[in-house]
Amino acid sequence: MQAPRNPAAPWRHLDLTLLLSTVGVAAMGLLMVYSSTRSKQANAGLDPGYYLKRQAIYLVIGLVAMAVAALVDYRRVRDFAPILYGGALLTLLLVISPLGTSRRGAQAWFQIGSYQFEPSEVAKLVFIISLAAVCASFRGELETGGLLAALGIAFVPMALIYVQPDLGTDMVFAAVLMAVLLVAGAKPRHIAVLSLIGLTAIVAVVQLGMLKDYQRDRLTAFLDPQADSQRSSYNLRQSQIAIAAGGIGGRGLFQGTQTNLSFVPEQHTDFIFTAVGEELGFLGGVSLLGFFGVMLWRVWRAAVLARDQFGRLLCVGVVAMLVFQIFENMGMTMGITPITGIPLPFMSFGGSAMIASFIGVGLVLNVHMRRFG
Amino acid sequence: MTKDTSRLRLAILGMVVLSLFSALLARLWYLQILASPTYKVEAQHNSVVFVYTEAPRGRILDRNGKVLADNRVVLALVAHREQVKADSPVLARVADLLGAKLDDLKDRLADERYSQFKPVPLAIDVQKDKLIYVREHQADFPGIEGLQLTERIYPNGTLAAHVLGTVGEINDKELAAHKNDGYRAGETIGKSGAELTYEADLRGTPQIEKLEVDSTGRVQRSLGNQPAVQGHDVRLSIDIDIQRLAEESLAQGLDLARRSTDFLTGKPFLAPGGSAVVLDPTDGSVLAMASNPTYDPNEFINGISVKRFAELNDPANNYPLNNRAIQGLYAPGSTFKLATAVAALKDGLITPKDTFNDTGSYTITGEQPLTVSNARGAKNGYVNVTQAITVSSDVFFDWLGQRFWDSRGKFGQAAIQDVARSLGMGDYTDVDLPFEADGRVSDPAGRERLHKDNPDAFPHPEWYTGDTVNVAIGQGDTVVTPLQLANAYATFANGGTVYAPHVGQAVLDINGQVIRTVDAKVVRRTELPASIRDPLQAGFKGVVNDPKGTAFGAFAGFPLAAFPVAGKTGTAEAPPKQDTSVFTAYAPADNARYVVTVILEQAGLGASAAAPVARRVLEGIAAKEGVAPVAPLANVNRVAGAD
Repeated sequence: MQAPRNPAAPWRHLDLTLLLSTVGVAAMGLLMVYSSTRSKQANAGLDPGYYLKRQAIYLVIGLVAMAVAALVDYRRVRDFAPILYGGALLTLLLVISPLGTSRRGAQAWFQIGSYQFEPSEVAKLVFIISLAAVCASFRGELETGGLLAALGIAFVPMALIYVQPDLGTDMVFAAVLMAVLLVAGAKPRHIAVLSLIGLTAIVAVVQLGMLKDYQRDRLTAFLDPQADSQRSSYNLRQSQIAIAAGGIGGRGLFQGTQTNLSFVPEQHTDFIFTAVGEELGFLGGVSLLGFFGVMLWRVWRAAVLARDQFGRLLCVGVVAMLVFQIFENMGMTMGITPITGIPLPFMSFGGSAMIASFIGVGLVLNVHMRRFG
Repeated sequence: MTKDTSRLRLAILGMVVLSLFSALLARLWYLQILASPTYKVEAQHNSVVFVYTEAPRGRILDRNGKVLADNRVVLALVAHREQVKADSPVLARVADLLGAKLDDLKDRLADERYSQFKPVPLAIDVQKDKLIYVREHQADFPGIEGLQLTERIYPNGTLAAHVLGTVGEINDKELAAHKNDGYRAGETIGKSGAELTYEADLRGTPQIEKLEVDSTGRVQRSLGNQPAVQGHDVRLSIDIDIQRLAEESLAQGLDLARRSTDFLTGKPFLAPGGSAVVLDPTDGSVLAMASNPTYDPNEFINGISVKRFAELNDPANNYPLNNRAIQGLYAPGSTFKLATAVAALKDGLITPKDTFNDTGSYTITGEQPLTVSNARGAKNGYVNVTQAITVSSDVFFDWLGQRFWDSRGKFGQAAIQDVARSLGMGDYTDVDLPFEADGRVSDPAGRERLHKDNPDAFPHPEWYTGDTVNVAIGQGDTVVTPLQLANAYATFANGGTVYAPHVGQAVLDINGQVIRTVDAKVVRRTELPASIRDPLQAGFKGVVNDPKGTAFGAFAGFPLAAFPVAGKTGTAEAPPKQDTSVFTAYAPADNARYVVTVILEQAGLGASAAAPVARRVLEGIAAKEGVAPVAPLANVNRVAGAD
């Protein structure tokens, strides 16, 4: 006799659409990382497949991490939230201590052998878990006390990340905070006030000399793309040339001159979308947006279907994280948002971001498949 | 919290997500669909560069095809910029090997004239063994390579230097002037002489290589190559044998003058320089154009040193770079009497038979009486215009000058000058060589103009009788170039056609086929009827053939029967300097195919210094023509004379 089938068994409710769209984006990322690094590597007499192989390893690790995040019941994860939060703060502290490594002006990495680990990427997820846990603990509308608790949860890691400095990640934190507060039931006037404070803070940071010159240049380059004397404008200009030169059908995989001849700096990391734009064209770009759209729709749907407030807020946090990063990253390559060092999820080369994004999707799968039990 | 507000809030979140995606999609649409064509062009500009390599220049040949300017292959050591930097130790090793200064090599490496996509030549014309050394020790010379380059060479050294001219690196002014001809900084361009005049023919089409480069400028691959096309050859009317003959004879004449005593000063002649021109009067072709002192145009290839260039421009060295044949301005002396005589016969001031008693001196009657004398006080007795030319009677022409001025109401203030100008004196000849001087035929209107423009240099605007007398005998403010003088006598010899002299003859393609010929250019025709021409012709023949003729001594022993010569001596006063020695001749006298004009600065009488030089040139020509026995030419002799 076979055991009766359990209709609430989590594996039966696995969101295959979300899983496939995520893997699809990651596969496209793998290809574009290869395209944007192979000729530069070959020119330097190095292995053209170096970055491809590394990214493939990150992808595998990410898939495993996603599986783990999906399998452990998210309600148990909630119990560990304080420990996770404490651990995240500790690593953020350590990374700005002499143990951390500085690269391109930010003290944001641990160097482990030939690999770098970026704790702020993982801190994003811990923040989503912690914030969801705190907000879910208040019933009904979020009163002033709950709001302050949420803000407190956000403030400490954001301050530590600001010290690195990594403004981009702080912006992701802010976006996640706002989205979770919105869905958690914050009063409209609270949200309005917070938005106002956020805007004031941005203006203050840019205008009051709290940034290094290069940081301000990067943030404001998109406002005046003609001023090509600055390095940041050069970046932006080359980036737009690459995307626009792709046209409708693109110049063909491995055929882009901007891509092959290294005209776009940081192309395999933050500017990976320029390789898609140039070589795969409008059709490729729309396909990528489509994959991302399906992914976000499924995460949003998981939020709608979630059986409890914690799960719902988890999903909302992941939606906010992903959509903000996608919009900011793709927008900056096309010149409509400031240049910040935010990777494009599942596309940009880099292990920490890739693994963190997979864990985020893993948590959503977790919430989704346990919505009945 | 109710389920409903939760739904609403999630819906708001969804709307935000949708609007952000719409913004991305709209921007993507704009960039890739609407703005794509312009950006595609930019992407192309980004990655494609054109590298230009100069083509070898065409050659310059003499009228018989002998090579005057050629190209040769030289060995060069070049550095690849991506491997060799200013602080690379290899640079010091190259400096050691070549015995060059390290700083010079660094300057070359940093020189922006060299395309960054081409190796930079560190040294040109390197000895082969040094190139081999580099190849054998390549490990010690990373990024250094030996290459073959072509460059200009003038195989005959100084020969015809002023006609050929020089080449050099294009400067900003030339670059601006040739904006539409595709010249690029660092290229070679003709700077003077035929190299400049025929630049457009001599310059070839550069090799254009289309390369794809990456963002760091590293070449990825070649996208195409348009090979270089060598420039066209230019054939000159110069006959290299006559040119050599003229240069040698001129140098001998000057040398001889420097070893002779000036009876007026008691010191040797300075004879700092001179010029000899051989012209074909039938079409204005220049057969030889010598200017002394001279220089070697090979010195200018790859840039002449500052020190050497200063030397060549030092007044103490008498300006060897100047082409005295077209830039030297000299009073023509008695050779000007051609114009005075033509004017007098044309206007009917005299008939060929009219005589005047030459007592050795002439007293000008006018504003203030002034007595002028023949050179050396010679007394010639009664002379007509023919005899006056033969013996070069100043008194006869003084008399004509006075009469012209006295009859200015009838013939105008510049009757003589107008004729001189109609023969091509005092104006550009339009020769196909750059930087020609115009000279001046002095007249009352011109003097007033000079005074008005520059009162300090020309304080006296007035014109006196004595001035026209001075004009009549070729003294005073009138100055001409040797080529103008030759051209004036060519006009007389050919019966009245003024040609623009030319050194170019034809432009040839690489197979020697004529692409274009430089045709004779008639500037004007002037009336020289037999009634005017014959008496003068007799006088010019007498100069050489008549025992009383001023150049009779200079032509003693010349095969005049086989190769008849006519001519005119001149001695121009150039105070405070010593006299300019002038002689111009044409041969064969009645059917002239050669005009020879020789001017020696500060060398004494025309008969003594210039005529013997012209004689030697004509002797060589006679031998070449086969009308006189071919024998080794004697050196120039200085002869006694009266003008």
